[in-house]
Amino acid sequence: MDRENTHMTGARKYRNGDITVYWKPSACVHASYCYRELIEVFDPGRRPWVDINGASTDRIIEVVDLCPTEALTWRWNDEEKNADVGPEHTNHVKYMRPELMDDKAGENDQNPVSVKIMIDGPIVIKGSFSLQYDGRKKDIGDSIISLCRCGSSNHLPFCDGRHRQVGFEDK
Amino acid sequence: MEDENKQARTLVEVIEGGPLKVSGNFILKDLKRDVTDNPTEVYLCRCGRSAGKPFCDGSHRK
Repeated sequence: MDRENTHMTGARKYRNGDITVYWKPSACVHASYCYRELIEVFDPGRRPWVDINGASTDRIIEVVDLCPTEALTWRWNDEEKNADVGPEHTNHVKYMRPELMDDKAGENDQNPVSVKIMIDGPIVIKGSFSLQYDGRKKDIGDSIISLCRCGSSNHLPFCDGRHRQVGFEDK
Repeated sequence: MEDENKQARTLVEVIEGGPLKVSGNFILKDLKRDVTDNPTEVYLCRCGRSAGKPFCDGSHRK
């Protein structure tokens, strides 16, 4: 029977012989790791945009694990194998590579907010902070937001992924 | 006083027609230039035209 977690409800699924990749568009902040790292599999200009046979399973897992949100997640098709995956990998409190980790977070009980300048992409802010825009001030609690850096978003100040279409290059 | 400063919430301020001001306790990571810093205040470019990215250099006014 289906033992998938509820957060994957409504996600689109792409399955190869080993794993299923889940795509949840509403959670995407356009950090853009997926297509920058693995255009063979994740090509936003193609329909469907995910070609699950475009790379090896290991490589797909590696890139899906880079996604800072739950927009892209994965599970083994063999449920028994999922039991062996550490909680930091499953469902999907993400493994993150070193440059994505808040390396001071453990040392500082204040858990400083993380502000990441994505490569040729947006400003991704993670943590608890106050956001002020359009004359409003909003308290954001432990979440992730993505702010436009190319000036072309149709949803300013937020990123809507337009940086890719306009070919924004940070140099 | 130092404690008070630490407890102040990090403030992310979208300046209309201008940059993004971030102040307080935060870690700034620039993945392209591979730089990690712990500044108290930065102004980040939002128009895409700064010559000193990721920071604002006033180019949005031109």
